[in-house]
Amino acid sequence: MNPGVAIAALVGVSVATAVIGFYGLRISRTTGDFYVASRTVRPWWNASAIGGEYLSAASFLGVAGLILLSGTDALWFPVGYTAGYLMLLLFVAAPLRRSGAYTIPDFTEARLDSLPVRKVTSLVVVLVGWLYIVPQLHGAALTIRITTGLPSWVGSVAVVIVVCLTVVAGGMRSITFVQAFQYWLKLTALAVPILFIIFVLAGSGTAPLAQPSVNPTGAPPAGLYQNVSLLVALLFGTLGLPHVLVRFYTNPDGQSARRTTLIVLGLLSVFYLFPTAYGLVGRMFAPGLATAGQADAMVLLLPGELVGGTAGDLLSALVVAGAFAAFLSTTSGLVVSLAGVISQDVLGAGVGSFRLAAVISAVVPLGFAFMTDSFALAGSVGLVFAFTASTVCPVLLLGIWWRGLTDAGAIAGMLTGGVLCGGAMIAGALAGAASTPGWLAQPAAWTVPAAFAVMVIVSRATSQRIPKTMSKVMTRLHTPERPLATER
Amino acid sequence: MTRVRVTAPRTAARPAKETREAAQDSEVGQVFVRSLIRSQLRLALVVAAGFLLILCAFPLLLAAVPGLAETRVAGIPFAWLLLGAGIYPVIGLSAWLYIRTAARNEARYRDLAEDQ
Repeated sequence: MNPGVAIAALVGVSVATAVIGFYGLRISRTTGDFYVASRTVRPWWNASAIGGEYLSAASFLGVAGLILLSGTDALWFPVGYTAGYLMLLLFVAAPLRRSGAYTIPDFTEARLDSLPVRKVTSLVVVLVGWLYIVPQLHGAALTIRITTGLPSWVGSVAVVIVVCLTVVAGGMRSITFVQAFQYWLKLTALAVPILFIIFVLAGSGTAPLAQPSVNPTGAPPAGLYQNVSLLVALLFGTLGLPHVLVRFYTNPDGQSARRTTLIVLGLLSVFYLFPTAYGLVGRMFAPGLATAGQADAMVLLLPGELVGGTAGDLLSALVVAGAFAAFLSTTSGLVVSLAGVISQDVLGAGVGSFRLAAVISAVVPLGFAFMTDSFALAGSVGLVFAFTASTVCPVLLLGIWWRGLTDAGAIAGMLTGGVLCGGAMIAGALAGAASTPGWLAQPAAWTVPAAFAVMVIVSRATSQRIPKTMSKVMTRLHTPERPLATER
Repeated sequence: MTRVRVTAPRTAARPAKETREAAQDSEVGQVFVRSLIRSQLRLALVVAAGFLLILCAFPLLLAAVPGLAETRVAGIPFAWLLLGAGIYPVIGLSAWLYIRTAARNEARYRDLAEDQ
């Protein structure tokens, strides 16, 4: 690929992001603006922003790469990423909005009336955020190396700098506009090249090189346990992601939180058709991209491989722009939600400490990214979902639906899930992908039930600790707001 | 034909929020709240279970009918169409059904709470 075209695409996306960010600066002035855009974002904007934030490096590059490698087994990834939002809608969306809390630690503190619970939740949320930013930076490093030939670190550092600038400048209000823009950019950047490729292939009558059911690397298909465990992680992990949940506070009421989620489901469903199409076309017409050991870069390389020439260069530039939009939007969404938690819990409230916290939240994972190596992006993001499903998810679900939850139970459950799942992730990383047994590579199927079980058992044993405010909080979570919203 | 409740605005007597909280704190109010929570949880569980059943049925269908996975529809193997595109409408439909019923549960609760 022509490096000049790729660099132009990168600079274009970064400048567009910064411009929209600075434009938003003019309308965000108070602390409330910085955190949650003062709860005045319309459902369509909000849904586009959630879609923009959620579709990360794993969705943009990783899913197609994984489909290229393992075929229909990998189709569970996009299905799980989308169905996770259904679970979010069913169990979390409206009650969370009605809780009136800004962040997940705010929610657990209000529900359980306990400061220690707040601290543990904050710790877990910050860990989840950092773990999730690392694959984004790996994706950026990979994209820069493949498309421009520059050293990998340039990609990660560029993402961190652009994100810090936009978040520090505008907070969540401008982030909402940036994210919404980036959803539509990502969709265009995936859809136009693949439709063009399919058009060209159909027009020229090119015969497929391979059958879609044949794994190009010859790897055996994943077992039933692996697929089930992956689905558990994705279904339950989504409803604990801090950067997704913080978006629900920008809805004016519980009903509109539900409507927003419905639109998000539609946006995600449309989006995921395209990585699937890339995977299928790649399997049939460019199986060589899988054997090069860089399946994650397949989306970036396919236009050049199958179209070529100036048209191929232009399409590649579009895909590179979309990929960078993915890294930027997910990273900035995570940085905003982490900065909200860190500034409130560690540095003290205020716009100044929010800005400092934003820089801290972006720079720490950069260090992690330098120390670790990129492996399959969709796989490493899948592990973060497993971690979230084992920690944040149980405390949210039980907190919203079960009157018997206590602070002791919540802490014990989160720690159990965190230690088990974190331990499995570390053991898996030390053993290497090839020699990790299935139950360790996909731990969600046993760590999530373990976390739920410990949370329920310890809560039962400490039932005298059920907070006095429980009835009142449960009422607020579940009863509809007045038709004319009286609380603003 | 829709029924319209004709009442004077209550805000004149007491602030709406205060009335609402007083109603919810009473014993009867708590009964209504508990029943609302129960019906919302039941609804969420039913929709989730239904969706998961359909989700499991898809691969079972492919495994049960030999040759179905490889059958081409417009050049695309059926397994890819089913798992890559067919599941999304099911997700959207489940979500839509849930939202409609959840809003109805809340409307019923609001009627009960205001009749008190």
